[in-house]
Amino acid sequence: MHKLEFILRRLVSSIFVLIGVSIITFALSRVVPSNPAVLYIGPRARPEDIVRVTKLLGLDQPLPVQYFIYMRDLLHGDLGTSIATKRPVLQEIFDRAPASLELLFTGMFLVVVIGVPLGVLSARWQGKPVDLVTRTISIIGVSIPAFFLGLVFQIIFFQNLHWLPLATQYSTDLRFTNPILPVTNFQILDAMLTRNWVALKDTAIHIILPAITLAAYPIGLVARMTRASMLEVLEQDYIRTARAYGTKEFIVTYFYALKNAISPTLTVIGLTFAYALTGTFFVEIIFIWPGLGMFTVSSLLNLDYPAIMGMTLFGATAYVLINSIVDLLQAWVDPRINLV
Amino acid sequence: MKKRLYQFTLLMVAVLLMSACGPAGTETSVPTEPATTDAPVVTEAPTEAAPLVLKIAMAAAVTTWDPVKSFSTEVAYLDNMYETLLLINPPGSAEEFTPVLATSWESNADGTEWTFHLRPDVVFHDGEAFTAEAVKMSIEAIADHGGAAFIWWMLDHVEVVDDLTAKFVLTSSAPIDWIASSADGSRIISTKALTAATADPNYFEAPVDAGTGAYVLESYKADQEIVFDRFDDYWGGWKPGQFDKVFVQLVTEGITQQQLFDSGQVDLVTSIPRENYLPYKDNPNYTYHVEPSFFNYLVFFNTLRPPLDNVLVRQALSYAIPYQDIIDIAVKGLGTQSRGPVPQGVWPSSPDVKQYTYDIAKAQELLTQAGHPGGGFTLNMWYVSNNDTIVALVPLLKDSFAQIGVEVNLVPMLWAPLWEQAKADPANAYDINPNMYWPTYSDAGSDNLWSLFYWTESPFFNLSFWKNDAYNALIDEAITKTVIDPVTAQAKYIEAMNMLVDEAPGAYLFDTKAVYIIPKYIEGFKYNLNYPFVPYFYYQLTSTK
Repeated sequence: MHKLEFILRRLVSSIFVLIGVSIITFALSRVVPSNPAVLYIGPRARPEDIVRVTKLLGLDQPLPVQYFIYMRDLLHGDLGTSIATKRPVLQEIFDRAPASLELLFTGMFLVVVIGVPLGVLSARWQGKPVDLVTRTISIIGVSIPAFFLGLVFQIIFFQNLHWLPLATQYSTDLRFTNPILPVTNFQILDAMLTRNWVALKDTAIHIILPAITLAAYPIGLVARMTRASMLEVLEQDYIRTARAYGTKEFIVTYFYALKNAISPTLTVIGLTFAYALTGTFFVEIIFIWPGLGMFTVSSLLNLDYPAIMGMTLFGATAYVLINSIVDLLQAWVDPRINLV
Repeated sequence: MKKRLYQFTLLMVAVLLMSACGPAGTETSVPTEPATTDAPVVTEAPTEAAPLVLKIAMAAAVTTWDPVKSFSTEVAYLDNMYETLLLINPPGSAEEFTPVLATSWESNADGTEWTFHLRPDVVFHDGEAFTAEAVKMSIEAIADHGGAAFIWWMLDHVEVVDDLTAKFVLTSSAPIDWIASSADGSRIISTKALTAATADPNYFEAPVDAGTGAYVLESYKADQEIVFDRFDDYWGGWKPGQFDKVFVQLVTEGITQQQLFDSGQVDLVTSIPRENYLPYKDNPNYTYHVEPSFFNYLVFFNTLRPPLDNVLVRQALSYAIPYQDIIDIAVKGLGTQSRGPVPQGVWPSSPDVKQYTYDIAKAQELLTQAGHPGGGFTLNMWYVSNNDTIVALVPLLKDSFAQIGVEVNLVPMLWAPLWEQAKADPANAYDINPNMYWPTYSDAGSDNLWSLFYWTESPFFNLSFWKNDAYNALIDEAITKTVIDPVTAQAKYIEAMNMLVDEAPGAYLFDTKAVYIIPKYIEGFKYNLNYPFVPYFYYQLTSTK
């Protein structure tokens, strides 16, 4: 019952948040003194064509009317038509979301399998060289901006060592020699489902650099948070008792201590997941990853306001949803937490 | 109380959502998407014989697939899918034109009727036969609502004489052979597609390919890739070594293009940073082409704003520009100083058009004559911030003007808002605007000289807002005489261009040169400055790999 009430309250407050976001984004996109009709037609739009397209796009209406029309269409699931691509914004989001989500999930997988063990190791061997190394890695991860890190990785692993590809989801030749049949539109998953092992290897290699770039900051954050929580928990009496009873250190660390230390880390993982949604923007640009980030950046630069609005609302919705899920997960992990 | 408030709000939200279940307020015409393959298909991964693929990294975005409305960078792709009646050859060629969809043509004595004899046995990609009706529908559609409709300002109508003969009837004499070979605004499109597009304005955005060109659009992913397939029924036929497919990877960053090029992941590129060209020059694996281009750079002086309403001040600034330094720094020497706003090699350019020299003493003298000894005023320079060449030359202008006592405030902007603001309120816009221009087709008289400095009530590209009736009259006369009396037309144009130099509503910086770096295994590349936005015609290229 508490959980249901929590969900309903979150739903209501989320709607107000999204309305607020939509108003601010709408206003900001209209403040820039430029006519999106020029984008629609091209850089040499004739005055009469600009007038025609301005009417076509409804830009001649007063701003409140434009906003009302937009919100009314939004309630029917219509996010408008992209001025740049001339396709529905919702279609653009659905087409590009798999690429972003694939990158995101791979990155978050790395965060969990690298960040958490790093934090545990660091806490377990506090003060030792292992701790120093892991803390250095953490600091590097949280300090260096993703776009810079991505470029550095490209120089090292592509240009100098020739170990990994420069960019994109897969090699150009793959498209013609071993094309991936679309099932879910997640390239790696589709390659597995269709047993296209050549494509699986190719796509897996291509995702390494962008995923690590995306995961660097969250890995550092998660490692530090895990370390801090673990240190606190490892000081507890029951841990001392478990050790006194001769319980193996591995069991003490990963089954007793980590279970109780993981709660704040879960929150951080959830928040970094939300951060990574926007973090993908830089990574997708650098690695020419055909996801939502690239679409958003080009929309911003071109003042493609339906796409800007659509992406902003999509991002805000995802943020709100993820935060709610994190709260629920926390309550599930730690029954002491009162959601209401 | 709190609980009731939440319950009430929830009820309101439910009511709002239910109200949305009614019909949508506006019809949005949603373009149809090509059908995707049915899923799931769990089979062994297919391994096909590899087609011969040309891989290119390009930055040119697609704003529309509509060949009528198109007037932007997608011309690089559309001009491989669609064809025009003629192609204009580079200056110095044995023949001025290459027949494409027209095999021959003639005009009447006063250039107001042009008859084109069409190539037989040509089919469109959608299976329709190419006839004079397609020419009529295509050109009239473009003239009516095309992105480059203005190039057909003189067209009255197109007459279908017979299936393979089309006559262009004009209200005024004009070089239709030039216009019909324009990269934009002259594509011939299938009648079936044009009819469908009349009913559905977004018809072509699916995307739909309705051209006769050597390559067919196979697939398109916005911001990612474009794939073309060879058109097996192409009238020109195919020979060994020509490409089966063309894969265009859309890459905006020049350095990324270069990395893809160097690593062999693409065969051709378009945007290697200029400062990185030289290593390729002496590399035996590449041929290094330096070619004149259609593009030139100029500076507009806002003649509505003092002190730039004084011709002496404008002349002074023109003398204060370090032309060669700008060429050396902004384009790494890949340019030549302009003679007026018409690029050299394009009609009606001429070596008889004057040039300014870099002369600080002369500039100071003119400022004194103008009543501004030592300068002592400040000018606002709005410039396009995402044009690397303009970004590079702007500090040089600022620094040079400072030497004659003229302070410059730099204001970077994107092109669209800069243009909008300038046209909306010229008197309160910039003082100086460095810019770039190119003619839509191979007549820079009716384009550059008209668009850039011919006064009209509503400014379009006359971004100096300069009004000169004598200049307007010269241009009007030259345009009408271009076909029937090109000698007089050229003389009028030269007089007009020298007026532009003397009156200096702008300063004419340089004509750029284009560099193409082609791997030795790619043959057939022929640069044509008349098609600056079409770096590669895929049909010309063959591979020796």
